[in-house]
Amino acid sequence: MGSVVFKNVVKNFGALNVLRSLDLAVPDHKFLALLGPSGCGKTTALRILAGLDMPTAGKVFIGERDVTRLQPRDRDIAMVFQSYALYPQMTVADNIGYPLWIRGTPEAGRKAKIGEVAAILEIGHLLDRRPRQLSGGQRQRVALARAIVRDPAAFLMDEPLSNLDARLRLTMRGEIKRLCQRLSATTIYVTHDQVEALTMADLVAVMQGGELQQMAPPIEIYDRPANRFVATFVGNPPMNILPAALSEQGVTVATGIVPVDQTRLAACRLAEIVEIGLRPEDCSVAPPGEAGALQGEIYVVEPMGNETLVNVRLDGGNVQVRAGRDFRGVVGESIGVAFDPANACFFNSAGLTAVHRVNNNGRVT
Amino acid sequence: MQRGSQARKYRLQGAGLDLALPYLMLAPGLTIVLGVLVYPLWDGLRASTRAYRYGSPVADVGLQNYLHLWSDAQFLNALWVTVKFVALSVSFEAVLGFALALFCLHEFRGIRLLRTVLIIPMVITPVVVAIVFRLIYASDAGMLTALSKAMGGGEVQILGNPLNAFIGLVALDVWEWTPLMFLILLAGLQSLPHEPFEAARVDGAGAWRVFADLTFPMMRPVLAVAIVLRTIDAFGTFDQVFVLTRGGPGEATRLISIYGYDTAFKFQQTGYAAALFVTIGLVVLALAFSAIRLLRRVDAS
Repeated sequence: MGSVVFKNVVKNFGALNVLRSLDLAVPDHKFLALLGPSGCGKTTALRILAGLDMPTAGKVFIGERDVTRLQPRDRDIAMVFQSYALYPQMTVADNIGYPLWIRGTPEAGRKAKIGEVAAILEIGHLLDRRPRQLSGGQRQRVALARAIVRDPAAFLMDEPLSNLDARLRLTMRGEIKRLCQRLSATTIYVTHDQVEALTMADLVAVMQGGELQQMAPPIEIYDRPANRFVATFVGNPPMNILPAALSEQGVTVATGIVPVDQTRLAACRLAEIVEIGLRPEDCSVAPPGEAGALQGEIYVVEPMGNETLVNVRLDGGNVQVRAGRDFRGVVGESIGVAFDPANACFFNSAGLTAVHRVNNNGRVT
Repeated sequence: MQRGSQARKYRLQGAGLDLALPYLMLAPGLTIVLGVLVYPLWDGLRASTRAYRYGSPVADVGLQNYLHLWSDAQFLNALWVTVKFVALSVSFEAVLGFALALFCLHEFRGIRLLRTVLIIPMVITPVVVAIVFRLIYASDAGMLTALSKAMGGGEVQILGNPLNAFIGLVALDVWEWTPLMFLILLAGLQSLPHEPFEAARVDGAGAWRVFADLTFPMMRPVLAVAIVLRTIDAFGTFDQVFVLTRGGPGEATRLISIYGYDTAFKFQQTGYAAALFVTIGLVVLALAFSAIRLLRRVDAS
């Protein structure tokens, strides 16, 4: 096992700047999710860690060993690919045993180990088959088995769930999490799915445009996003962002004035905030005309079964509100949007979060 | 507006012209195939059971022509030369073509130009290639002799020496047809998924193991198809030999095709030649079928 460190890693593909000075340190035994939209450089970072691509500049360390210029095979890693990357001509057993076979593990030891990991992943009955005779979920398990058959310093996973159907993805998500906790191995998990990142990881690193935006535990990423990008990328439906202006009593949002306590208001003034961010679940629908609520009209109503998503058109833009499952609104109706300003965060003109939400519900900020 | 559909006559599916149309459209093509493919084939089979004199059939001899082949020393020698020629040429072409394809898989400056240049021999008319090679091999004013003399040696005998002539013929075929092998194998290599190769590198395989454990097994079907194609093609090699050596010296380069040509047009033994070519056709067919069956078995296991 080992820690993983990126030091000022830069990667250019010709004129294209894919990674701009990435600094990242993953402590030993931690599960890190590299989260970001496509093209943000997360997969490139992983490939550089694996040794499949060379960084233009910077250094990569695995377990305090500088591996920047080492061949992939000398890095003591295991990787799970998005397309599983199984060896089509080999049986499942040979696929799983390949990392051992190539290292010259004797047959008896190899067989025992293959049986062991196959049992963990419940694919013992598939060992004689070939990859093309397997379903997507089974292939995924074989790819995982091949990764865990050795005891590498770090596990690398490149969107391993994105080729599975939605239901299977849910099951495998839980299983991979259990597996990683059981192995207690340093894991770097690349994903564009914020739910995967939040549910599985000990640490989430959000990337965009080749730069690290924030690295923190999932709850902190969610509750205290470092900037506007992280705030809107993480969370579903995404955080509502509305233009905000400072006034004597509080903050003016749309046509209403939001009362904000003095210390936060002072901080807002100091940071010259321009926008307010509100999570949909921190908003609620209110009867039209209610004091303190923002006034607007219903734009879209989306019943989800367990709740209803209401999109409300305000003066400064639309907001998503989570309403109860019994919400019965009609498009075009007037409606109020109520929220506790303590749950709001504020962004300055550079898009950074200047004032975070206040601790509530007993959560630690 | 009045709806005109009441007055309109519908053509029903599967009746009348609709039924006949497919056959009508097939008819011209079918006629041509019958005329230029099926009839000549049948005529050839019929000719192979007859004896000819001065170009006209004089007697039905049944399978006599076929039986006679196996006691004809010249035929057996031609068959042996052909098998040697095909085996040597196709093996060299496969190995060289695979090596070149693996090399050209890498992306670097000028690779497109290189790939194009490598294909040129294949697109030159075979007779022209043979003429050029005859000029290279010529013992008096040939390129090889010139080269040898420049280095202080004497005349190089290629076409006059049985072994050298045979090697020269194989060299010509390899030069001309390695590009086809290269092209098929490069296309095959390019169509392989690249993730398994990256996975193997991460799993600990070096370049040789990646080739032996992944590239070669994954390429086996493509390689087999390319070899079968080239083998069938090489069995019919005629023009290069005809221009280069006419089968000589002696019988050193007399391939089955040349012997058959001689039999038919020099010795005027039309029936015997027909039997010879039918036999070779069956041999090639059997080869192709067994190769394809072998391929299927490899694929299914």
